[in-house]
Amino acid sequence: MDREPLARPVTVAVVDDHPIARDGIRTWLSRDPLGRVELIASGATIESVLQGPGATADVLLLDLELQGVMVIDRIAELCAEGRRVVVYSAHEDPETILAVLDAGASTFIAKSENEQHCVDTIVAVATDRPYVPPVMAGAILSDTRPQRPRLSEREKEALLLWFQSMSKASVARRMGLTEATVRQYIDRVRVKYAKIGRPAPSKAALLARAIEDGLIEAREIREYRSFAAGPDPAP
Amino acid sequence: MTGDPAAYVAGRYERGSVVAAVVIAACWHVGYDLTATVGNWSVYRWPAAVAGAWLAYVGIGAVAARALLRTRRTAGAVWGLAGAALALDVIVLAACPPHEVLGPGDWPWGSIGWLAVLLFWWRRGPHELIVFLALNGVVMLAGMALNGVLDRISLARFLMVFVGSVTLQLGYSVATHALTSAARRAAQVSAARMEADAARQVAEQVHADRLRRYAQVRKAAAELLKALADGADPADPVLRRECATGAAWLRRLIAETDDVPDPLVHELRACAYDAERRGVVVSLLPRGAVPELPIETRRALTEAPLEALSRARSEARVTVVANAGEVVVSVVADADDFPIRRIEGVRVTKQREGDVLWIESRWPGR
Repeated sequence: MDREPLARPVTVAVVDDHPIARDGIRTWLSRDPLGRVELIASGATIESVLQGPGATADVLLLDLELQGVMVIDRIAELCAEGRRVVVYSAHEDPETILAVLDAGASTFIAKSENEQHCVDTIVAVATDRPYVPPVMAGAILSDTRPQRPRLSEREKEALLLWFQSMSKASVARRMGLTEATVRQYIDRVRVKYAKIGRPAPSKAALLARAIEDGLIEAREIREYRSFAAGPDPAP
Repeated sequence: MTGDPAAYVAGRYERGSVVAAVVIAACWHVGYDLTATVGNWSVYRWPAAVAGAWLAYVGIGAVAARALLRTRRTAGAVWGLAGAALALDVIVLAACPPHEVLGPGDWPWGSIGWLAVLLFWWRRGPHELIVFLALNGVVMLAGMALNGVLDRISLARFLMVFVGSVTLQLGYSVATHALTSAARRAAQVSAARMEADAARQVAEQVHADRLRRYAQVRKAAAELLKALADGADPADPVLRRECATGAAWLRRLIAETDDVPDPLVHELRACAYDAERRGVVVSLLPRGAVPELPIETRRALTEAPLEALSRARSEARVTVVANAGEVVVSVVADADDFPIRRIEGVRVTKQREGDVLWIESRWPGR
């Protein structure tokens, strides 16, 4: 997706309390053949990263567990400040992922997901486009909360196969669709999720971009809200 | 009897109390009421009416006891029967000459309370029983007024009999109901404690198993780190594979949050563990709660995925997505092809992508 070179590299700041993890991410990002992402700051605490050049980064890559403390409650304030937050963690249980999404984070990457997802995700988020990594697709599939958005059968199928195979090309072959259509199904799910939970500037930007890209129509935003508000008859 | 121990224990107490109440009413009616009727036969104005009342008492008591012992439900038209019981009061009062009102010959007002105990047994709370006993008292006072026996001594006798019988009847009903609910609570508490004990034992086993695997992965990691420190080449493909296997293992341990694993996930986990020992990097991602499945269905669901997992050469991704009505198990692995057996009730899909085999089995198969 979006593999064309960007006008300027996306800037990213990393908060992780393990130096070796920060080094690993730096290596991952530098290995992108298109050089789409530039790491401009990294540190062990949110404060130390935001005091320096990290304050203006396009994307903040945040390890969910810092010095043994889960920082889910910090996500909302970071998002309210207008930051695009990408959370990554080894805690990949659905409850944690859905809580992170609700708090306003742009997306969630599991530590078990490979480096290609990492770069693609950061680029998508920086341009306010949806990106659902496979582990997040799995969390959405097991969402049984009453406020969950209503997904179509095809959207659910695309999510399921994406979670299983981690390859949109394979999903497309299985469903007899083009890869672009598969991507559309999956991205629409993320847009639907942007309608629930805490509002944040990054969510508004995501919705605006989704309308511009023709992923949804402006009137659908209201429909999602009414689906989210009413009881969902689907199991 | 249901399997619920609380219901069983409470049921036994309840039945015992019901039987005792029926026996008390029957003994009272035969031992006291019958002797009083026979002994005062010549005193009554209309002895036949009193004999009829005695038999009607037996009839009402039989209906109430049958409802209690057979169907465990209140007899139909319970206030109709209660009204009939109060009518016995009036009949015998009318049959008694004034001097025998409050005497042994006027037996119903002391004993119909036992009928009410049986009739109102399954009612929630003692309110209706209290209303009935109060009405009984009012009927008796009215009878005394009509017969002109409201002197101090008569009133004192009335109070003595009234308080005595009400205390026995109401006390019995309230106390046995309290005993039954106490027995039910005790059984519930004991069942809950047994359940908690069982869950704790399983959780302890799971925990011990995790500690054992953690120790293993820790040992493996220590050996790898030592090798690296001693100058092993990080570019060595064998070393990198060992690192990847160890990391996948560690990640799985972190991701395991279930105290009591579902049998299907447990089976997959065991097989993933075997594959890891062969050096395969396995990600196992169960999502959603697996419903209780018949063992044949579970076997059918896991057969092809487990085969793929056992054939994986270096990498495998195992996912389970489940809700109450659907379970989907998938394995994506660099494995050789193998024939898929058709199994009733489960749909298995196979897709090959170059080196990679993608197996998915779904229940229910449509």
